[in-house]
Amino acid sequence: MPKGTRRLTLTALLAAAALGIFALEAQLPAPVPIPGVKLGLANAVTLFAMRALGRKEAGAVLTVRVLLGALFAASPSTLLYSACGGLLAYAAMCLLTAVIPEKRLWAVSALAAVAHNAGQLLACLLVVRTPGVLAYGPILAVSGIITGVFTGLCAQYLLQRLRKTGLIK
Amino acid sequence: MKEKRNILWLCALAAVCLLGLAAWGLLGRGGGTVAVITVDGQELARVDLSQVRESYDLPVDTAWGHNTIRIEPGAISVTEADCPDKICVSQGRLTGGGIPIVCMPHRLVIQIEGGDIDA
Repeated sequence: MPKGTRRLTLTALLAAAALGIFALEAQLPAPVPIPGVKLGLANAVTLFAMRALGRKEAGAVLTVRVLLGALFAASPSTLLYSACGGLLAYAAMCLLTAVIPEKRLWAVSALAAVAHNAGQLLACLLVVRTPGVLAYGPILAVSGIITGVFTGLCAQYLLQRLRKTGLIK
Repeated sequence: MKEKRNILWLCALAAVCLLGLAAWGLLGRGGGTVAVITVDGQELARVDLSQVRESYDLPVDTAWGHNTIRIEPGAISVTEADCPDKICVSQGRLTGGGIPIVCMPHRLVIQIEGGDIDA
């Protein structure tokens, strides 16, 4: 397969996987009664795409997942929240993967998840225009760290395993 | 060296977690008795929960969706919502200030004000 086709196919495959995970997770009941808290396993796919393919491809995977995810799984009104969160998390990932090695992808993921939750909270603040919602900041930071470490480890192990198969570089 | 870096990162993240949990605990201790219900940034109702003698339901229907708010003596909660996740319902009864009940898809925020810092 030519290289370009291979990259495109892999990117599309990852976008589909991210969307599937996102849709599945949306069907699960909320783990804790705190708005904005969720596992966010689809972010592991974005992170994986960034390490295995590149920033551009990861951006494509994220964009497809956020737009189609709002259409298929979540209600369209949550698009703004996930778009703001996704954008900030993507920016954090881009900056951090450049300085933190892949051995500590879990740390990149934790900080990206915190950035995601911060973006979500800011979007929420813009929408409801009630500063009281900022009280959720501390707990969203905590949940971002915990879920981020978990999803980061998922991406990290997946990268290690798939590199051995030669499917990705 | 590699191990040390990992431990350093873990400690830093754990410290932030502890700080966050402490802040969350402190925030949840706010006082006050006046519940303020806002939708899309507009104040919809303001109820002094200490003056409520009998429980009643307040339906809130807006362009974003439907919620039923239960007002009780000293407490307020969301008992019904037509959003997919129903997080606002599972947040339970609010009896003090600090942390508001939020229904993100319906742009609804219920917050208790007043108490010690009443203006």
